[in-house]
Amino acid sequence: MNYVLNRLLSMLLTLFLISIITFAVTNILPGDVALMIMGTQSNPEALAGMRQSLGLNDPLIVQYGHWISGMLTGHWGTSLVFKAAIGPLLLQKMTASGLIVLMSMLIALTGAVPLGVWAAIHRDRWQDTASSSAALFGVSLPDFFWGIVLILLFARTLGWLPSSGFVDPGTDLGGAIAHAFLPSLALGLGLMAHLTRMTRSTMVGIMEQEFIRVARAKGLRERAIIWRYGLANAIGPVMTIAGLQIGYLFGSIIVIESLFNYTGMGWLTYQALLNRDIPLIQATIFVIAAVVMLTNLVVDLLYVLVDPRIRLG
Amino acid sequence: MTDLAVNGNDGAPILAVDGLRVEFRTDAGPVVGVEEVSFAIRPGETVCVVGESGSGKSVTSLSIMRLVEFGGGRIAAGRIGFRRRDGRDIDLADLTPAEMRAVRGSEIGMIFQEPMTALNPVFTIERQLTDGLIAHKGLSAEAARRKALELLQEVRIPEPERRLKQYPHELSGGMRQRVVIAMAMACEPRLLIADEPTTALDVTIQAEILALINRLKRETGMAVLFITHDMAVVAQMADRVVVMYRGNVVETGSVTEIFEAPQQEYTKTLLAAVPKLGEMRGRPAPERMRGFAAPGSKTPQQPEARPARPRELIEVRHLSTRFPVRSGLFRQTTAHIHAVEDVSFTIFAGQTLSLVGESGSGKSTCGRSIMRLTEPSRGEVLLEGSDIARLDSYALRRVRRDMQMVFQDPFASLNPYRRLAAQVAEPILNFGLARGAELEDRVAGLFDRVGLPRSFLRRFPHELSGGQRQRVAIARALALNPKLIIADEAVSALDVSVQAQVLNLMMELQADLGLSFLFISHDMAVVERVSHHVAVMYLGRIVEIGPRMAVFEDPRHPYTRTLLDAVPVADPRVRRSREDRRARTLPSPIFPLGHEPAPSVYEEVGPGHLVIVE
Repeated sequence: MNYVLNRLLSMLLTLFLISIITFAVTNILPGDVALMIMGTQSNPEALAGMRQSLGLNDPLIVQYGHWISGMLTGHWGTSLVFKAAIGPLLLQKMTASGLIVLMSMLIALTGAVPLGVWAAIHRDRWQDTASSSAALFGVSLPDFFWGIVLILLFARTLGWLPSSGFVDPGTDLGGAIAHAFLPSLALGLGLMAHLTRMTRSTMVGIMEQEFIRVARAKGLRERAIIWRYGLANAIGPVMTIAGLQIGYLFGSIIVIESLFNYTGMGWLTYQALLNRDIPLIQATIFVIAAVVMLTNLVVDLLYVLVDPRIRLG
Repeated sequence: MTDLAVNGNDGAPILAVDGLRVEFRTDAGPVVGVEEVSFAIRPGETVCVVGESGSGKSVTSLSIMRLVEFGGGRIAAGRIGFRRRDGRDIDLADLTPAEMRAVRGSEIGMIFQEPMTALNPVFTIERQLTDGLIAHKGLSAEAARRKALELLQEVRIPEPERRLKQYPHELSGGMRQRVVIAMAMACEPRLLIADEPTTALDVTIQAEILALINRLKRETGMAVLFITHDMAVVAQMADRVVVMYRGNVVETGSVTEIFEAPQQEYTKTLLAAVPKLGEMRGRPAPERMRGFAAPGSKTPQQPEARPARPRELIEVRHLSTRFPVRSGLFRQTTAHIHAVEDVSFTIFAGQTLSLVGESGSGKSTCGRSIMRLTEPSRGEVLLEGSDIARLDSYALRRVRRDMQMVFQDPFASLNPYRRLAAQVAEPILNFGLARGAELEDRVAGLFDRVGLPRSFLRRFPHELSGGQRQRVAIARALALNPKLIIADEAVSALDVSVQAQVLNLMMELQADLGLSFLFISHDMAVVERVSHHVAVMYLGRIVEIGPRMAVFEDPRHPYTRTLLDAVPVADPRVRRSREDRRARTLPSPIFPLGHEPAPSVYEEVGPGHLVIVE
């Protein structure tokens, strides 16, 4: 319990630092909110008036104080582009992208763990070479390449799955999953390749451990040794690496969601950046950082369940 | 146990290895691991296979278990005859993997060297003890649990019920090795293979484990195949001995034949290299190991005309080193490990003081604190009068010229990417003492000094053997003409014959250059050979210190006696029948913040012979 509190405290500290950096960086960007609202053709007096009313003439530290107290009290402001309250907007888009991130992680792990173990136990034989080459192929190609291939294959040629659009999981869960499937697969393939390599090298290390030899000396079946003794030790490290990829996934969805016209966080971030929607950019960075940190906290807590040596405290 | 009748000694061997040859696949074609290995073990008999690294002793034991196949090996020829419980004679080399699995763990049990890594860290002790029973005997979970509890009692682990629920990291090394033995004994095997089972353990724990194996053998009548590099352990355990060298059996015989009338040159050399505890009785000065004269060195001699009281080189007074235990968000210090606690001693010029003790006694930290590689918490270290503990970094750097260190692992203490000449030259360059041709001459001279050919100058560490590497480490330590060398387990990782040569080199350097050594070691027999003075450490404190003869021949502190008593003697006629006791839990030197331990107070029991007063 103490450990969770400590972790949450240090998370708050990190978020505080992130908020400062976010705020500073978005203020260095050329143009300001007043200009974005009024447009470049507006007259200078009106612009000055707008700046005054938005508080843009206050010292940065005061502006930051306004912003952060707003964030903390749930007043996240209004998006300039969407003309809507940022809070509910982010919640809706986060749900949409959460579905994709979760599904791509599931797809990646279901493929990577068996493949990685299979490669590890056939180390230096053709199975290993095949799996390693496939994985190298997978990590070398960008996500959107897989996106294009998947659209061509499953949407155009076979017509099994929709190639674009977003359906709210609250209204139609099946439809939501169907629409999220191809973008998730596109993201998941690259991730699967990466995690396969990690699983393989972790497993190779574990299968050389003395306790594996001891298990063999006990006369246990090789299958039990690999899938129980071996995998129980590999699952922790693989999980940690998978958890660290969540941040990477939130970066990748910017391209993938645009490709599949899937209106989630990635698509939202893209729109916010394109239109210099500064309040939205600030809130988006902040929320993504918080979500990535929280998922990693969850992963670390899960680690305790699979490895008794990790003591929280 | 119940198998006594079946295992009864009717003279026919339970295991008969005949002409075994094992090959390993490599990129350059098959490499022979062992060849022409033949020996037999009868029920109730202990056969020791002894040899140095690369002798093939472990390959032999792994071949019997057919585990060698998992490491890329293949039994190319020979027969491994094994008499099963039902009386059938089978050839283990011929069995299918599934048939072999039924023998492994059921009729042959095996224990390994490293208790720290032999247990699966993420499973409970119960799960690891029961899965073999469930696989071989088809016991129910409940019956297996009862049997597991019984096994833990059998290997004398205290609080067995609690242990079942624990994970390996919660047990000490000695306790874990008992669990590994319990696992191997689970299905009442007819043959127990022990592959260096005590090499990673402290000497007192080793004595306990050896006594345990002996008792289990006596009670069950099983046969034991004991693999070791340690002749002293062989002398204590073996009925018969198989000596191996470079993949071949050199000599086989009863333990008395091997120790008292060895036939082969290699066996004789091996025996000569082993220091025997007690053989220095009545001899005040250190002596070279016999039969290992380095080429070109002088005949062994002891300089008799020593001044009655040699000069003091280093005086350590009330040295303490504590490490913080940190926890919480801001990593606050919540306790201290008192690694070294109020330690005082003197090292004389041209002499060797040995620090002995078991792991965790603080002997290495003590050595590091003197050089300030670890900052001592308090106390003084006077090198010829000036206090090292108080020097600023500039003055400390100068003082370090006078003190050099040689570490245990010569693989780790040399940079794998640099040529040896450059590594030995480094300290000289560091202090700007020589350059160009003069530097080359000095480095070449150092190679001569430690008995390495000059052709090694341009080589890299991986091209050398362990003993040669340790010579390079010594050459590097000598480069600055130091007054003191701190040797932290400097010969512990070496094979005995190499160990003897390196020890002789160190004694030679002491005689020629007047070097002082702080010799940190866990090996009492080696310490007896090389030391002028000995200090025994326990839980951070020196419990007994004095001239070597006094400490070894008249030990006063109970811990010193326990330690000396636990050392196996390399002589089968000096067997100590030890009672098999319960595993102990060792106290820890972790104290809460602000805890001030009492100062170390000593009583002088003889000239310079001090014993701590509790």
